[in-house]
Amino acid sequence: MAAGFKTADPLEYHRSFLKENCRPDGRELHEFRTTTVNIGSISTADGSALVKLGNTTVICGVKAELANPSVEATGKGFIVPNVDLPPLCSSQFRPGPPGEQAQAASQFMADIIESSEMLQMEDLCIERGKLCWSLYCDLICLDYDGNLLDACALTMLAALKNTRLPKVRVNGETGAPEVDLGKRRGLKIRRHPVAASFCIFDDSVLLVDPAAEEEQLATARLTVVTDEEGRLCGVHKPGGTPLSGERLQELIGRATVRQKEIHRLIDKVIKSIV
Amino acid sequence: MPVDTRRVRGPEVSQSPLLFACKPAAVFSSHGPRADGRQRDQVDVRPVFVRCGLVSQAKGSAYMEAGDTKLMCCVYGPRETERKDDTDMKCGRLTTDMRFAPFSCPERGSWIQGSQDKDFSLMLHESLQPALCLHKYPRSQIEVNVMVLENSGSVLAHAVTCASLALADAGIEMYDLVLGCAIRQDGASYVVDPTYAEENGNGSDSSDNQGRLTLAFLPSLNQVSGLQSDGEMTEESLSAGVRTCIEGCYKIYPVIQQALAKAVRRAAPPPSES
Amino acid sequence: MIMSDAIFSRPTHTFDGMMEECSPSTVSIREFGCEQNLLSRSDGSASFIQGNTSVLAAVYGPAEVKVSKEIYDRATLEVIIQPKVGLPSVKERAQEQCVRETCEASLLLSLHPRSSLTLVLQELHNDGSLLSCFLNAGCMAMMDAGLPMSCLFCGVTCAIHTDGTIITDPTAAQEAESRALMTFAIDSKEHQVMMTSTKGSFSVQEMQQCIAVSQAASEKIFSFHRESLRRRYSKSV
Repeated sequence: MAAGFKTADPLEYHRSFLKENCRPDGRELHEFRTTTVNIGSISTADGSALVKLGNTTVICGVKAELANPSVEATGKGFIVPNVDLPPLCSSQFRPGPPGEQAQAASQFMADIIESSEMLQMEDLCIERGKLCWSLYCDLICLDYDGNLLDACALTMLAALKNTRLPKVRVNGETGAPEVDLGKRRGLKIRRHPVAASFCIFDDSVLLVDPAAEEEQLATARLTVVTDEEGRLCGVHKPGGTPLSGERLQELIGRATVRQKEIHRLIDKVIKSIV
Repeated sequence: MPVDTRRVRGPEVSQSPLLFACKPAAVFSSHGPRADGRQRDQVDVRPVFVRCGLVSQAKGSAYMEAGDTKLMCCVYGPRETERKDDTDMKCGRLTTDMRFAPFSCPERGSWIQGSQDKDFSLMLHESLQPALCLHKYPRSQIEVNVMVLENSGSVLAHAVTCASLALADAGIEMYDLVLGCAIRQDGASYVVDPTYAEENGNGSDSSDNQGRLTLAFLPSLNQVSGLQSDGEMTEESLSAGVRTCIEGCYKIYPVIQQALAKAVRRAAPPPSES
Repeated sequence: MIMSDAIFSRPTHTFDGMMEECSPSTVSIREFGCEQNLLSRSDGSASFIQGNTSVLAAVYGPAEVKVSKEIYDRATLEVIIQPKVGLPSVKERAQEQCVRETCEASLLLSLHPRSSLTLVLQELHNDGSLLSCFLNAGCMAMMDAGLPMSCLFCGVTCAIHTDGTIITDPTAAQEAESRALMTFAIDSKEHQVMMTSTKGSFSVQEMQQCIAVSQAASEKIFSFHRESLRRRYSKSV
C-alpha cells in the first residue's frame, strides 16, 4: 500500500511524513545521512577517495601530470576538477557528454577550489615559467541518491589530502624533468572547505542533505560552503523559492557545525592510514 | 583540435610523469616467478571479491575486485526501448556500455570514450547475449553499464563475470551465468589472469607465439559464449589456452555462486520457523 | 562591440522599440537602461545595459516541446547563454542553471503544460556584473513576451573590495581587484533572495550586508520596471 501511495502521489507521500517532523528514510529534518570516507583505494591514481553519503557514492581519483605554466601565471600550476554522472549511477542520466547538472557541478568544484584557496596554486609550480603540476581531479558518481555537491566536495577534499606527488628535478643541462617515483610528498592543504546542502520543501519546510526524491520535489536547493575559520567560501542557490536573510543565517549555522564534523572525520581517516 | 566545452579545461598539453621516471618500472619477464607471487603455467587466478546490490538506484548491481582490478556494473531495465524505430516486438534488446575511469590506468585516460572502450562494450555484448532469455522481454531494453575503477589487467574477463552477476542480481532471466577468464601466452609459457604489466609487457626475447586470449564461458551448460584473441599464437597453444581459461572459470565459479546466494538470501530472507 | 553598436545606435524613437534611462542616485549602481521588443522574430526580446555591460535577450514560446523533454504538468524552460566570443563552456552552463531556476520560480509554468519556453541570452559586452545583467535582461524579455509570472526579479552584483568596502554593480576592473563577489536575484514581492552565486571567501556579516545593499538597489530596478512598462502601455493604448 505504502509503495503504491509513494508512486501515485510522491508529493503527498512526503508531506504526510513531514507533518510528523520526520522523513521517509527515518531521518529528522536537520539530520545528515551517515557519511563514510575511504581513501587511497585506487593505486593507479596519485590520490583517491571514495565517499558514501547515505546511498550516494562518489569516487575521486587525482592524477598529476607535468605541464608548462600558462603565460599569464608563470608561477602557478593547474587543478582541473571534473564531475561525471555516468548512466551507471542512476536511470535519469543518459550516456554521452556530461549534461547540465554534471557541468554545473564541475564548475562548482572549480569555484570551491578558487574561492577557498584550499591549495595555493604556487605550490604546484616546479620551476617558474617552465614546469608545473596539473592535478586532474576526476570525480565519478557511482550511485546517485541526491546531494551530489556535498559528496563531490568532500570526496575531492579527501582525495587531495591523500595525494602524494613524486619528486621532480629539472636537469640543468638538458632542461628535461627527472621524476623520482619512489620519493613522494603530500600536498599542503591550507583550508578545509566543506559543503552542506539543504532543500526547501513546499516553499516552507527546510530539509538537510536531501535524497534524490526529495531533491526532485523540492522548490529550492541551497549549498553553503564553509571553512574551519567559519568563513563562507560559497553560497550557491541556483534559484527557486525566495529565502529571507534570517533563514539563511540559520542554514549557515548548521553548515558551520557540519564543517567541524567533517573536518574531524577527515582527520581521523587520514590518521588511520598513516 | 576540437576542444571539449562541456568540461573544465586544463592546460593545453600535459604529460604523465611516468615518461620522465629516472628508473623505469620493473619490466615483465618471461622467466621466474610472477611479480605477485603467483605460479606461471598454472591455473593460478587472483583471489576475487564480489558483492551484489551495492547501488541503490540500479535494478541490479555488482562490484568486483580481482587483485587490484576493480570494477562495478549496474543493470537497468527491462524498460521501454528508447528509440521507437528500434523496437523489436518479439525480442528484447541488450545494450552494453563499458568505460574506464580516467584514473584507472597508469597513464591518465581521456573522458571521451575511445575506440578501445567501444570494442570492449561490443565484446561484452556478444559474450552476454547468448546467456540471456531476451525473448522474455519483448519491446524492452536491458542496459548494462560497466565502470572500470582500476585497471590491473584482464579487465574484459572480469567485466563479463561482473556483468552477468549484476544481471542475475537484477532478476533478469538467464540460461546460465557467464564467467570470464584471460590468459597471456608468452612463447612456450603462459600466465593466467595477467596483471596490467604482464598483459602489456613484452618480456620474451622471441616474438613467436605471443598472444592474449579472453574467454566467456557458461559453466553449467559447458558452452563458450565469447572468445577474443589477439596476437599470434600456434594452433596448439590456442586450444590449450581455451582449456586453461575454462579451468580458470571453474575456479571462480563457487565465489560467484556464493555472492549470488547471499544477495538472494538478503533480498528474500527464508521464512522463519514460527 | 560591433554588434552592440549596431543596436544602440538605433534611434530611440523607433516604431516599437524604446530606450529608457535611469540615473543613479543614492545606492551607487551604474546607469542602466533597457530596450524591449527590438527583435522581430522572437516572441519577446529585450536588451539590458548596466554601464558598459550589455546583454540581449530573446524569448521563444510557448511552443511545441521535444518528447524527451516534455513535462506533463508544466512547461519546459530552456536557457541558453551565448558568450561574446567562442563557444559556451562549463561556466556558461553553470550560469544557465542559475538563470533557469530563477526564472522557473517566478514563471507560472503550470499554465502551459507540455510546452517549451526558450530564453536565449547573448552577451554583447562584459564590463562586470554580467550574471546580474543576464537576469535583468531575461526578466525584461519575459515581460515583453507576456508570459504569466508570479513575481518579477532582478539581479544585483556586489563586490567586497580588499579594504572591506562593498561596491554594488562593479565594473570588470573593480571585480578583478575585489576579494569576494556575490550576485543575488531579488524577487519583487517580498524582496527576498531567490538566487545567490558567490566567488571568493567572506564572513557571514559581510554577506548579510551585501544582501541588504542588494535589496536597496533592487528597489530602484523594480521602480524602473514599473515606470518602463507604464510608459510603454500608456503609449499604445
